[in-house]
Amino acid sequence: MTVDPKLPHVPPDTSPEPLWRRDFPYESAGEEEVTRREFARYLALGAGAIAAGNVVLAAWTQLRRINTGEPRPIVALDQVEVGGTYLFDYPGDNDPAILLRHADRSVVAFGQKCTHLGCVVFFQADENRWHCPCHEGNFEPLTGQVISGPPTRPLGRIDLEIRDDVIWALGAST
Amino acid sequence: MKDPALRERRTASAVLIYLIILVSFQVFLVTVAVEAFITSQEGLGWATAIVSVVLAASAGFFVRYLRH
Repeated sequence: MTVDPKLPHVPPDTSPEPLWRRDFPYESAGEEEVTRREFARYLALGAGAIAAGNVVLAAWTQLRRINTGEPRPIVALDQVEVGGTYLFDYPGDNDPAILLRHADRSVVAFGQKCTHLGCVVFFQADENRWHCPCHEGNFEPLTGQVISGPPTRPLGRIDLEIRDDVIWALGAST
Repeated sequence: MKDPALRERRTASAVLIYLIILVSFQVFLVTVAVEAFITSQEGLGWATAIVSVVLAASAGFFVRYLRH
């Protein structure tokens, strides 16, 4: 067998260790240890990231401005029958609210989001209460205070006034 | 347990399990923080954040312990 003189000279492999061992010099136990420690490091980094996120969320909860709304007319009084309700948006266009005319010239209104997890509440005339169907939360019809169910806070009240037979919203309490 | 390598490996496993529990609790705390945000409960939000930071600090402590 003749050797091609154009090929580079490669010295013979005299190392006692096989080639795969030199390319991948970890014992199985050591390899496991490295992976485990790396994984622990990633977990700790993840815990730190989540903690930072929670702090940001708490700060955002504290600092965000809650829109309490500007006074504006809602509906004419004679368009809502006594004992009936009327749906509108207040203070913003994406804030559903509900109004109840419970006497001839007496009305109350609340934000329609349940204070438990934000489902929409509606008026149950036969039970005389605001009802949240998601988790069976119930609220007083005139004050919005919790009667029963998981909510712990009353419904967000909207201050109303009747001016020249028109119902005006004056502002929302938070 | 006389084999130091085995002991070290078992310690690492124990710390790892503890870290997994800590991170699971952190994920639960995220849901609490989101609920606090939705319902505008600042107190709950800050309490959640403080517990979360304490858990993250203990996770860091455990990782440091693992290095030594």
